[in-house]
Amino acid sequence: MKTILLMEDNPYDARLIIRLLEILGYRMLHATEANVGLQMAMQERPDLILLDMGLPDLDGQTVAALIKMLPELTDVPVVVVTAWPPDTARQMAEAYGCAGFISKPINVKDFALQVTSFFRDSSGK
Amino acid sequence: MIPLLAGSPCLDFYPPADEAVTLLPASRFTLEQLTEAYNQTRIDYIVPMPMNVARLREYIHIYDVDLDLSGVAMADGEMLGLAMLGVRPGYTWITRLGVLPTTRRRGTGEMLMRYLIGHSCRLRADHIILEVIQHNEPAYRLFLKLGFVEVRELLVVRRPPGPPRVEVPPYLARLLPSSTALELLAQRRSIPSWLDEAPSLYKAGYMAGLMVELENGGQGWIVYQNTIFQLGRMVLQTEAGDPFEVGRALLHALYTQHPLLDTKMENLPADDPHWPAMQSFHFLETFRRVEMRLDL
Repeated sequence: MKTILLMEDNPYDARLIIRLLEILGYRMLHATEANVGLQMAMQERPDLILLDMGLPDLDGQTVAALIKMLPELTDVPVVVVTAWPPDTARQMAEAYGCAGFISKPINVKDFALQVTSFFRDSSGK
Repeated sequence: MIPLLAGSPCLDFYPPADEAVTLLPASRFTLEQLTEAYNQTRIDYIVPMPMNVARLREYIHIYDVDLDLSGVAMADGEMLGLAMLGVRPGYTWITRLGVLPTTRRRGTGEMLMRYLIGHSCRLRADHIILEVIQHNEPAYRLFLKLGFVEVRELLVVRRPPGPPRVEVPPYLARLLPSSTALELLAQRRSIPSWLDEAPSLYKAGYMAGLMVELENGGQGWIVYQNTIFQLGRMVLQTEAGDPFEVGRALLHALYTQHPLLDTKMENLPADDPHWPAMQSFHFLETFRRVEMRLDL
């Protein structure tokens, strides 16, 4: 079973994302602040991190930069989940070494497929 | 409290009567309540910029927010929205204005604005400053309606961690201690936004500086904040020579010194002469704000 860490402070978005991915059998971890999320990431070594760009204690870019600098986590794909315009989201995701981005509001129909495509082996299993 | 003079233009800015909504000083609420309300008002924003209690407390301190003069709109025991007022000698700054998504378009934002404008008038402020995210049309139109005018565009920019990856002409660099760096701010020629005014930088702490001299006579300095995770609050100044060349030398020295730190810079004037040098060092524009001013 693959583990996904969701760093998202918006309770509505978090609830929806967790529900969509748990149905597909993923083990979901959730943090509403970067500080907690980084600790969880270090302890649990998730297979994928979904990262909201606006967290209450630290912004998403800095979190992405920190993840990429930690040897234990540098290989974990980080996917930005953001309401930013796509061009900005793409540019920031690339600059900060993220695997890609998913736009908010998420498309319920496509979301699981989008997430799966970011796993290292692409099968999502 | 100083009474308003009859005939003052400020008399126009009393909140309109709406018996259903009460405006209360933000100081009547806990920081936890204010943080929760602020985050709720921004939940659907493209750039929500949420805060936790610690960040809000720091924000209030650094930016001289006066909670007694800041407002919370209430109806039926529920917070509908809030707005905060920064106060410095001679002028004020409106910030963190937000209304819950479900209660917008009922004039709550305008009531809060008039409440803060009224306080600014009573303080005998010369003018009020605010910033609005570019393309936030409802807020922008409200501010125009209240008499604010555009001053300039401000950039929010980022640079991911990494050493300098560009070549620059030889230069000599000198690291400056915090006290010397802060003294340099007195010589600043650029006009900072509220976030980067000297009082903000003094209170923000962790300030440092660098000076460079180029072989061709170019000279300049940079004052910046150096926290555990980020560089930010940069003030660049060219004392002699070409700002592009001096700016690149400053940034080269900075990122040679701090190659592992992410950089976030808010409210860089879009016409800052060092912005092209920053772009050549892989700074990226995240979004823009429009600075607006109301003369009282």
